[in-house]
Amino acid sequence: MQVTVDVKGETTHEVDLPKPTYADVLRAVDLSPHEVSVLVDGRPVPEDQPVESSEVTVLRLIKGG
Amino acid sequence: MTECTRCGREAVMHAAYSGAHLCESHFCETVEKRVRKRVREDGLVPRDATPDDPETWVIGLSGGKDSVVLTHILDETFAEDPRIELVALTIHEGIEGYRDESVGACVELADELSLRHELVTYEDEFGVRMDDVVEDDPENMAACAYCGVFRRDLLERYADEFGADKLLTGHNLDDEAQTAMMNFLEGDVAQMAKHFDASIGGFDGDDARSDQDEFVPRAKPLRDVPEKEVALYCHLRDLPAHITECPHSSEAYRAEIQQLLYGLEENHPGTRHSIMAGYEELAGVLADRYDEDGDGPDLHECEDCGATTTRDRCRKCSLLDSLEAV
Repeated sequence: MQVTVDVKGETTHEVDLPKPTYADVLRAVDLSPHEVSVLVDGRPVPEDQPVESSEVTVLRLIKGG
Repeated sequence: MTECTRCGREAVMHAAYSGAHLCESHFCETVEKRVRKRVREDGLVPRDATPDDPETWVIGLSGGKDSVVLTHILDETFAEDPRIELVALTIHEGIEGYRDESVGACVELADELSLRHELVTYEDEFGVRMDDVVEDDPENMAACAYCGVFRRDLLERYADEFGADKLLTGHNLDDEAQTAMMNFLEGDVAQMAKHFDASIGGFDGDDARSDQDEFVPRAKPLRDVPEKEVALYCHLRDLPAHITECPHSSEAYRAEIQQLLYGLEENHPGTRHSIMAGYEELAGVLADRYDEDGDGPDLHECEDCGATTTRDRCRKCSLLDSLEAV
Protein backbone atom coordinates (compact mmCIF):
# COMPACT_ATOMS: atom_id res chain seq x y z
CA MET A 1 0.00 0.00 0.00
CA GLN A 2 1.24 3.45 -0.99
CA VAL A 3 1.04 6.00 1.86
CA THR A 4 1.99 9.68 1.88
CA VAL A 5 3.36 10.62 5.29
CA ASP A 6 3.43 14.32 6.08
CA VAL A 7 5.67 14.93 9.09
CA LYS A 8 4.45 18.38 10.13
CA GLY A 9 7.09 21.08 9.97
CA GLU A 10 9.56 18.65 8.36
CA THR A 11 9.39 16.50 5.26
CA THR A 12 6.84 14.47 3.36
CA HIS A 13 7.66 10.80 2.68
CA GLU A 14 6.17 8.23 0.32
CA VAL A 15 6.19 4.70 1.70
CA ASP A 16 5.06 1.47 0.12
CA LEU A 17 4.35 -1.40 2.53
CA PRO A 18 2.21 -4.53 2.38
CA LYS A 19 -0.83 -4.19 4.71
CA PRO A 20 0.88 -1.80 7.13
CA THR A 21 -0.28 -0.60 10.54
CA TYR A 22 0.27 3.08 11.38
CA ALA A 23 3.18 1.95 13.58
CA ASP A 24 4.75 0.19 10.57
CA VAL A 25 4.50 3.41 8.58
CA LEU A 26 6.20 5.32 11.41
CA ARG A 27 8.98 2.75 11.58
CA ALA A 28 9.50 3.12 7.83
CA VAL A 29 10.22 6.84 8.32
CA ASP A 30 12.38 6.19 11.38
CA LEU A 31 9.99 7.46 14.03
CA SER A 32 8.69 5.81 17.20
CA PRO A 33 4.98 5.84 18.08
CA HIS A 34 6.12 7.18 21.45
CA GLU A 35 7.46 10.42 19.98
CA VAL A 36 4.64 11.28 17.56
CA SER A 37 0.89 11.16 17.04
CA VAL A 38 -0.65 10.06 13.76
CA LEU A 39 -3.63 12.01 12.46
CA VAL A 40 -6.00 10.96 9.69
CA ASP A 41 -8.30 13.73 8.50
CA GLY A 42 -7.28 15.70 11.58
CA ARG A 43 -8.25 12.94 14.05
CA PRO A 44 -5.70 10.95 16.08
CA VAL A 45 -5.69 7.21 15.34
CA PRO A 46 -4.40 4.23 17.38
CA GLU A 47 -1.00 3.29 15.94
CA ASP A 48 -1.54 -0.48 16.19
CA GLN A 49 -4.37 -0.32 13.61
CA PRO A 50 -4.17 -1.15 9.89
CA VAL A 51 -3.71 1.90 7.67
CA GLU A 52 -6.96 2.82 5.92
CA SER A 53 -5.94 6.12 4.42
CA SER A 54 -3.41 6.89 1.71
CA GLU A 55 -2.48 10.14 3.47
CA VAL A 56 -1.46 10.53 7.09
CA THR A 57 -0.17 13.47 9.09
CA VAL A 58 2.42 12.98 11.79
CA LEU A 59 2.78 15.39 14.72
CA ARG A 60 6.12 15.23 16.44
CA LEU A 61 6.42 15.66 20.19
CA ILE A 62 7.98 18.90 21.24
CA LYS A 63 9.88 19.11 24.48
CA GLY A 64 8.02 21.27 26.92
CA GLY A 65 10.78 23.29 28.64
CA MET B 1 -12.79 1.86 12.95
CA THR B 2 -11.25 0.68 16.22
CA GLU B 3 -13.61 0.75 19.16
CA CYS B 4 -12.92 2.17 22.61
CA THR B 5 -12.33 -0.69 25.05
CA ARG B 6 -14.76 0.96 27.47
CA CYS B 7 -17.65 2.34 25.43
CA GLY B 8 -17.44 1.25 21.82
CA ARG B 9 -16.96 4.76 20.40
CA GLU B 10 -14.13 5.42 17.94
CA ALA B 11 -10.72 5.02 19.61
CA VAL B 12 -8.13 7.81 19.25
CA MET B 13 -5.24 6.01 20.92
CA HIS B 14 -3.75 2.69 21.90
CA ALA B 15 -1.81 2.29 25.14
CA ALA B 16 0.37 -0.74 24.43
CA TYR B 17 1.42 -0.96 28.10
CA SER B 18 -2.17 -1.61 29.20
CA GLY B 19 -3.64 -2.97 25.98
CA ALA B 20 -6.45 -0.39 26.04
CA HIS B 21 -7.89 1.43 23.04
CA LEU B 22 -9.58 4.61 24.21
CA CYS B 23 -11.94 7.18 22.71
CA GLU B 24 -11.33 10.88 23.21
CA SER B 25 -13.45 11.22 26.33
CA HIS B 26 -12.23 8.07 28.06
CA PHE B 27 -8.64 8.89 27.19
CA CYS B 28 -8.91 12.42 28.63
CA GLU B 29 -10.63 11.02 31.70
CA THR B 30 -7.78 8.55 32.33
CA VAL B 31 -5.17 11.32 32.08
CA GLU B 32 -7.07 13.42 34.62
CA LYS B 33 -7.57 10.41 36.90
CA ARG B 34 -3.88 9.54 36.83
CA VAL B 35 -2.93 13.07 37.88
CA ARG B 36 -5.50 13.11 40.69
CA LYS B 37 -4.41 9.67 41.87
CA ARG B 38 -0.80 10.82 42.00
CA VAL B 39 -1.82 13.94 43.95
CA ARG B 40 -3.58 11.64 46.44
CA GLU B 41 -0.88 8.98 46.64
CA ASP B 42 1.87 11.54 47.15
CA GLY B 43 -0.23 13.18 49.88
CA LEU B 44 0.03 16.63 48.28
CA VAL B 45 -3.02 17.99 50.13
CA PRO B 46 -2.08 17.90 53.81
CA ARG B 47 -4.76 17.07 56.38
CA ASP B 48 -4.25 20.39 58.12
CA ALA B 49 -5.02 22.51 55.04
CA THR B 50 -8.29 24.37 55.68
CA PRO B 51 -10.19 27.19 53.97
CA ASP B 52 -8.88 29.49 56.71
CA ASP B 53 -5.32 28.27 56.35
CA PRO B 54 -5.00 27.09 52.74
CA GLU B 55 -1.94 25.61 51.02
CA THR B 56 -0.28 27.59 48.26
CA TRP B 57 0.98 25.67 45.23
CA VAL B 58 3.20 27.47 42.76
CA ILE B 59 3.13 25.81 39.33
CA GLY B 60 6.11 26.29 37.02
CA LEU B 61 4.28 27.28 33.82
CA SER B 62 6.56 27.47 30.77
CA GLY B 63 3.82 27.47 28.15
CA GLY B 64 4.96 24.13 26.75
CA LYS B 65 2.48 21.24 26.60
CA ASP B 66 3.49 19.59 29.87
CA SER B 67 3.08 22.57 32.18
CA VAL B 68 -0.03 23.75 30.32
CA VAL B 69 -1.70 20.34 30.78
CA LEU B 70 -0.65 20.19 34.44
CA THR B 71 -1.99 23.70 35.11
CA HIS B 72 -5.26 22.92 33.31
CA ILE B 73 -5.89 19.70 35.27
CA LEU B 74 -4.89 21.18 38.63
CA ASP B 75 -7.14 24.15 38.01
CA GLU B 76 -10.06 21.86 37.08
CA THR B 77 -9.45 19.85 40.23
CA PHE B 78 -8.73 22.58 42.76
CA ALA B 79 -10.15 25.90 41.49
CA GLU B 80 -13.24 25.39 43.67
CA ASP B 81 -11.32 23.86 46.58
CA PRO B 82 -10.79 26.54 49.27
CA ARG B 83 -7.93 24.54 50.82
CA ILE B 84 -5.65 25.08 47.82
CA GLU B 85 -4.45 28.33 46.21
CA LEU B 86 -2.76 28.06 42.83
CA VAL B 87 -0.21 30.52 41.45
CA ALA B 88 1.37 30.10 38.01
CA LEU B 89 5.00 31.22 37.68
CA THR B 90 6.57 31.79 34.25
CA ILE B 91 10.23 32.45 33.63
CA HIS B 92 11.46 34.31 30.55
CA GLU B 93 15.02 33.21 29.83
CA GLY B 94 15.69 35.81 27.15
CA ILE B 95 15.29 33.56 24.13
CA GLU B 96 13.94 35.75 21.41
CA GLY B 97 10.87 34.56 19.54
CA TYR B 98 10.69 31.21 21.32
CA ARG B 99 9.93 32.42 24.82
CA ASP B 100 7.99 35.51 23.75
CA GLU B 101 5.44 33.23 22.13
CA SER B 102 5.22 30.74 24.96
CA VAL B 103 4.74 33.56 27.48
CA GLY B 104 1.75 34.51 25.31
CA ALA B 105 0.39 30.96 25.74
CA CYS B 106 0.85 31.23 29.51
CA VAL B 107 -0.97 34.57 29.69
CA GLU B 108 -3.82 33.17 27.58
CA LEU B 109 -4.19 30.10 29.78
CA ALA B 110 -4.01 32.05 33.04
CA ASP B 111 -6.62 34.50 31.71
CA GLU B 112 -8.93 31.67 30.68
CA LEU B 113 -8.64 30.07 34.10
CA SER B 114 -8.63 33.38 36.04
CA LEU B 115 -5.43 32.14 37.64
CA ARG B 116 -2.88 34.35 39.39
CA HIS B 117 0.09 34.54 37.01
CA GLU B 118 3.58 35.90 37.72
CA LEU B 119 6.35 36.49 35.19
CA VAL B 120 10.04 36.90 36.02
CA THR B 121 12.92 37.30 33.59
CA TYR B 122 16.62 36.41 33.60
CA GLU B 123 17.26 39.90 32.31
CA ASP B 124 15.60 41.70 35.24
CA GLU B 125 16.89 39.25 37.83
CA PHE B 126 20.40 38.52 36.61
CA GLY B 127 21.06 41.04 33.82
CA VAL B 128 21.59 38.22 31.31
CA ARG B 129 19.68 36.76 28.36
CA MET B 130 20.14 33.15 27.26
CA ASP B 131 20.65 34.30 23.65
CA ASP B 132 23.81 36.14 24.85
CA VAL B 133 24.85 33.41 27.28
CA VAL B 134 25.11 30.83 24.47
CA GLU B 135 27.16 33.28 22.41
CA ASP B 136 29.64 33.99 25.24
CA ASP B 137 29.66 30.49 26.78
CA PRO B 138 32.56 31.15 29.20
CA GLU B 139 32.37 27.69 30.81
CA ASN B 140 32.21 25.78 27.52
CA MET B 141 28.94 24.09 28.50
CA ALA B 142 25.64 23.22 26.86
CA ALA B 143 23.02 25.98 26.97
CA CYS B 144 20.75 23.86 29.21
CA ALA B 145 23.49 23.63 31.85
CA TYR B 146 23.43 27.42 32.40
CA CYS B 147 19.71 27.73 31.88
CA GLY B 148 18.85 24.97 34.37
CA VAL B 149 20.88 26.61 37.13
CA PHE B 150 19.25 30.01 36.53
CA ARG B 151 15.74 28.56 36.21
CA ARG B 152 15.99 26.50 39.41
CA ASP B 153 17.26 29.55 41.29
CA LEU B 154 14.30 31.69 40.19
CA LEU B 155 11.67 28.98 40.67
CA GLU B 156 12.93 28.40 44.20
CA ARG B 157 13.29 32.08 45.07
CA TYR B 158 9.90 33.15 43.74
CA ALA B 159 8.04 30.09 45.01
CA ASP B 160 9.37 31.08 48.42
CA GLU B 161 8.45 34.72 47.90
CA PHE B 162 4.87 33.82 46.94
CA GLY B 163 4.57 31.74 50.09
CA ALA B 164 4.50 28.40 48.30
CA ASP B 165 4.04 25.27 50.38
CA LYS B 166 4.88 23.27 47.26
CA LEU B 167 6.37 23.88 43.85
CA LEU B 168 4.77 21.77 41.12
CA THR B 169 6.34 21.07 37.73
CA GLY B 170 5.07 19.33 34.60
CA HIS B 171 7.60 16.49 34.32
CA ASN B 172 6.01 13.54 32.52
CA LEU B 173 6.74 9.80 32.63
CA ASP B 174 9.32 9.96 29.83
CA ASP B 175 11.21 12.80 31.56
CA GLU B 176 11.38 10.93 34.84
CA ALA B 177 12.25 7.54 33.33
CA GLN B 178 15.09 9.24 31.41
CA THR B 179 16.37 10.89 34.59
CA ALA B 180 16.18 7.57 36.46
CA MET B 181 18.13 5.78 33.70
CA MET B 182 20.72 8.57 33.57
CA ASN B 183 21.26 8.32 37.33
CA PHE B 184 21.66 4.53 37.04
CA LEU B 185 24.03 4.65 34.10
CA GLU B 186 26.09 7.39 35.72
CA GLY B 187 26.19 5.32 38.93
CA ASP B 188 24.97 8.35 40.84
CA VAL B 189 23.42 6.74 43.91
CA ALA B 190 23.52 9.93 45.97
CA GLN B 191 21.57 11.70 43.23
CA MET B 192 18.84 9.01 43.39
CA ALA B 193 18.40 9.65 47.13
CA LYS B 194 18.36 13.39 46.48
CA HIS B 195 15.80 12.98 43.66
CA PHE B 196 13.50 11.16 46.11
CA ASP B 197 13.71 13.79 48.84
CA ALA B 198 13.53 16.71 46.41
CA SER B 199 10.59 15.78 44.21
CA ILE B 200 9.34 12.20 43.89
CA GLY B 201 8.91 11.02 47.47
CA GLY B 202 5.43 11.21 49.02
CA PHE B 203 4.50 13.66 51.78
CA ASP B 204 2.83 11.23 54.16
CA GLY B 205 2.93 7.59 55.19
CA ASP B 206 5.82 5.37 56.26
CA ASP B 207 7.73 5.91 53.06
CA ALA B 208 7.47 9.72 53.03
CA ARG B 209 10.40 11.90 51.99
CA SER B 210 12.36 13.56 54.76
CA ASP B 211 11.71 17.24 55.44
CA GLN B 212 13.97 19.64 53.62
CA ASP B 213 13.51 22.86 55.48
CA GLU B 214 15.88 24.79 53.25
CA PHE B 215 13.90 24.26 50.04
CA VAL B 216 10.31 24.61 48.90
CA PRO B 217 9.26 20.96 48.41
CA ARG B 218 8.64 19.97 44.81
CA ALA B 219 6.17 17.57 43.28
CA LYS B 220 5.51 16.15 39.81
CA PRO B 221 1.87 15.12 39.57
CA LEU B 222 2.08 14.46 35.80
CA ARG B 223 4.82 11.87 36.10
CA ASP B 224 2.61 8.82 35.50
CA VAL B 225 1.53 10.08 32.09
CA PRO B 226 3.70 9.28 29.05
CA GLU B 227 4.85 12.33 27.12
CA LYS B 228 2.94 11.31 24.02
CA GLU B 229 -0.29 11.17 25.99
CA VAL B 230 0.35 14.61 27.49
CA ALA B 231 0.72 15.96 23.95
CA LEU B 232 -2.41 14.13 22.78
CA TYR B 233 -4.43 15.45 25.73
CA CYS B 234 -3.22 18.98 24.97
CA HIS B 235 -4.25 18.57 21.31
CA LEU B 236 -7.66 17.05 22.05
CA ARG B 237 -8.53 19.63 24.73
CA ASP B 238 -7.28 22.39 22.42
CA LEU B 239 -5.19 23.98 25.15
CA PRO B 240 -3.09 27.05 24.31
CA ALA B 241 0.34 25.40 24.43
CA HIS B 242 3.31 26.72 22.57
CA ILE B 243 4.80 23.93 20.49
CA THR B 244 8.25 24.87 19.27
CA GLU B 245 11.57 23.40 20.27
CA CYS B 246 13.90 25.69 22.21
CA PRO B 247 16.53 26.89 19.68
CA HIS B 248 19.33 26.31 22.23
CA SER B 249 18.17 22.84 23.30
CA SER B 250 21.21 20.58 23.50
CA GLU B 251 20.92 17.73 25.97
CA ALA B 252 22.76 15.12 23.93
CA TYR B 253 22.97 12.40 26.60
CA ARG B 254 19.31 12.71 27.52
CA ALA B 255 18.38 12.46 23.83
CA GLU B 256 20.39 9.25 23.56
CA ILE B 257 18.60 7.74 26.58
CA GLN B 258 15.28 8.87 25.13
CA GLN B 259 15.94 6.92 21.92
CA LEU B 260 17.01 3.89 23.95
CA LEU B 261 13.76 4.01 25.93
CA TYR B 262 11.63 4.36 22.78
CA GLY B 263 13.19 1.13 21.51
CA LEU B 264 12.71 -0.70 24.82
CA GLU B 265 9.12 0.50 25.12
CA GLU B 266 8.41 -0.68 21.59
CA ASN B 267 9.67 -4.22 22.29
CA HIS B 268 8.60 -4.40 25.93
CA PRO B 269 5.55 -2.18 26.54
CA GLY B 270 5.45 -0.88 30.10
CA THR B 271 9.22 -0.47 30.45
CA ARG B 272 8.98 3.20 31.50
CA HIS B 273 6.38 2.38 34.15
CA SER B 274 8.44 -0.49 35.56
CA ILE B 275 11.65 1.58 35.55
CA MET B 276 9.88 4.21 37.62
CA ALA B 277 8.16 1.76 39.99
CA GLY B 278 11.49 0.12 40.81
CA TYR B 279 13.42 3.36 40.85
CA GLU B 280 11.05 5.10 43.24
CA GLU B 281 11.22 2.20 45.69
CA LEU B 282 14.99 2.06 45.44
CA ALA B 283 15.40 5.84 45.72
CA GLY B 284 13.21 5.78 48.85
CA VAL B 285 15.38 3.09 50.46
CA LEU B 286 18.51 5.03 49.55
CA ALA B 287 17.10 8.30 50.90
CA ASP B 288 16.38 6.57 54.24
CA ARG B 289 19.83 5.10 54.36
CA TYR B 290 21.53 8.46 53.67
CA ASP B 291 19.27 10.03 56.26
CA GLU B 292 20.26 7.46 58.92
CA ASP B 293 23.93 7.87 58.14
CA GLY B 294 23.59 11.63 58.40
CA ASP B 295 25.36 11.79 55.06
CA GLY B 296 23.22 14.65 53.84
CA PRO B 297 24.95 17.55 52.13
CA ASP B 298 26.33 20.33 54.28
CA LEU B 299 24.03 23.22 53.37
CA HIS B 300 24.58 26.89 54.01
CA GLU B 301 23.79 30.28 52.52
CA CYS B 302 25.56 31.59 49.46
CA GLU B 303 27.80 34.45 50.61
CA ASP B 304 26.58 36.62 47.75
CA CYS B 305 22.88 36.00 47.26
CA GLY B 306 21.84 33.98 50.32
CA ALA B 307 20.51 31.03 48.28
CA THR B 308 20.91 27.59 49.87
CA THR B 309 24.02 25.89 48.55
CA THR B 310 26.67 23.28 49.37
CA ARG B 311 29.45 25.72 48.41
CA ASP B 312 30.59 29.11 49.70
CA ARG B 313 29.04 30.76 46.67
CA CYS B 314 26.16 29.15 44.80
CA ARG B 315 26.50 27.83 41.26
CA LYS B 316 24.34 30.62 39.87
CA CYS B 317 26.57 33.34 41.34
CA SER B 318 29.72 31.68 39.97
CA LEU B 319 28.16 31.35 36.52
CA LEU B 320 27.10 35.00 36.59
CA ASP B 321 30.72 35.92 37.51
CA SER B 322 32.14 34.01 34.55
CA LEU B 323 29.61 35.67 32.26
CA GLU B 324 30.58 39.06 33.65
CA ALA B 325 34.26 38.36 32.96
CA VAL B 326 33.68 37.72 29.22
